Amino acid sequence: MVALSELASVLRSKNAGALLCTLDLMFEDVATYERVRDSGVINPELIASLYHVSQNEVSIIPYDVAMAIKVTVPRLVPSGSFGDTDVYGSQQHGPLLTIEIPD
Amino acid sequence: MSDSLSMMATTGLLGYGFGEEAFRYGLEMDLDFIAADAGSMDPGPHYLGEGVPFVSRKAIKRDIGLMLEGALEKGIPMLIGSAGGSGSAPQVALVREVVEEIAAERGYHFKMAIIHADQSKEYLHAKLKAGKIEPLGPIDDVTPHTIEETHRVVAMMGVEPFQQALKDGAQVVLAGRATDASIYSAIPLMRGYDPGLVWHLSKIVECAGAVAVPKSGQDCMIGILKPDHFLVVPAHPDVRCTRMSVAAHTLYENPSPYHLIEPDGTVVTVDSTYEQFDERTVKVAGSRFEHSNRYTVKLEGVRRAGYRTVFMAGARDPGLIAIIDDYIESCRARVRLQVAALGIGEDQYKLNVHVYGKSGTMASREPIQDAVPHEVGILAEVLADDEETSKAVMAMARLALLHSDFPGRKCISGNLAIPFSPSDIPVGQTYEFNLWHIMEIADPLEPFPIEMVDV
Repeated sequence: MVALSELASVLRSKNAGALLCTLDLMFEDVATYERVRDSGVINPELIASLYHVSQNEVSIIPYDVAMAIKVTVPRLVPSGSFGDTDVYGSQQHGPLLTIEIPD
Repeated sequence: MSDSLSMMATTGLLGYGFGEEAFRYGLEMDLDFIAADAGSMDPGPHYLGEGVPFVSRKAIKRDIGLMLEGALEKGIPMLIGSAGGSGSAPQVALVREVVEEIAAERGYHFKMAIIHADQSKEYLHAKLKAGKIEPLGPIDDVTPHTIEETHRVVAMMGVEPFQQALKDGAQVVLAGRATDASIYSAIPLMRGYDPGLVWHLSKIVECAGAVAVPKSGQDCMIGILKPDHFLVVPAHPDVRCTRMSVAAHTLYENPSPYHLIEPDGTVVTVDSTYEQFDERTVKVAGSRFEHSNRYTVKLEGVRRAGYRTVFMAGARDPGLIAIIDDYIESCRARVRLQVAALGIGEDQYKLNVHVYGKSGTMASREPIQDAVPHEVGILAEVLADDEETSKAVMAMARLALLHSDFPGRKCISGNLAIPFSPSDIPVGQTYEFNLWHIMEIADPLEPFPIEMVDV
């Protein structure tokens, strides 16, 4: 098992509009990308539990041409509303770092 | 259609700056127009609410000054979209004032179009009644009440208002809220280029230097359209685009890299190919545009959320940190009691206490629950309908957080290190997004009146 933080070259989060947070997992080489993509670990069930949302609110899109996996979830509250902690949504990737990918 | 059309995106955000050297290299590349996006909702609802930019007037003036000089020297159009950040009336007015100031200082003369994007409540009520407004993502449906409590609302224009302004003879187009890609797609679509290629190229160049390698944040980007492909290359000869930097860009800030939605359809990049054309240039082909059977514009609106007061402090007592969540709950109870004595009910304010070092960044989504930091940062915020109430509640919250007892307390002269005097910081009226919807319109020009000015 290897942590996703060891395998990904980019692990970032950002608003996709005021209501959604999008997370990009990017890799340096095809083998690593395919290893993560094909592991089946990055699935709606896992993302839903990490971000406390329901599975049908999770979108996961593999993007082969850029060796990236895009994950999108609703924000906790709309950007800048009372209770928000991250207006730009730039630091919401933390829970992904420790995801374990099988060898 | 000629066999080639070239555009330059000077900056991904007007006022963030761009290298003058890069700009001058770009100007010599036989351009058909130059443009810049000035907008983003990323900084949150405040800027639309107050109608102010999130960059300085000085920075706007510097960027626009260079662009005007270049456009007039080459006799080509210059397009600015989402002027002032959110593209609302006061923001557009500010950028217009800057343009007119520069023109007066330097003796420039040109025809300018100002395109407005603010929407009236009457118009929105009519659209709502006709069933033409629906949510864009996880947000409530609009009701007449939603519209009534809206403080300011803009709609995002497509290419048509830009095209009309150019047909009317404008050399400079200063537009309110617009989709980033419309700014760059307006002219190529008028000239008959393939919409799939046009929109996809626009989506890539609108962030200017974002696809440059190495990324300096100061690079201007050149897009060159051909009948069956397009090329992307940085203006500065020391910088390049890579196949990967360009392909990866459609990921940015979008929920899907394959489907990018615009007012009259969707850019589909499923079959797009990306090829390293030469060392600095990337060639893209195969992008499609699927026309929609309706024309929709996005609405962005804010309502007043109340007056915010904030307070920051540090806590370093291990006994307090060990029970910090319970402590804060007990403080909240004390605040409730003490402000009730001032005639302030529980429904008249909101109090939130963020604990940095534990869950300040992710709040309830923080997965690490058992961290034992040696110090934590406390950020308290109060929202209330008026500033006096907001400050009064915060004063009590500060008192409670500083001087409440807890089991085993030894630091009995105060529980917090307060870094500033004054400690409580009123930040004024705040806003929240209440409209994040799409509105169907029959005429793409209808909600975007165009004003022609001789500068």
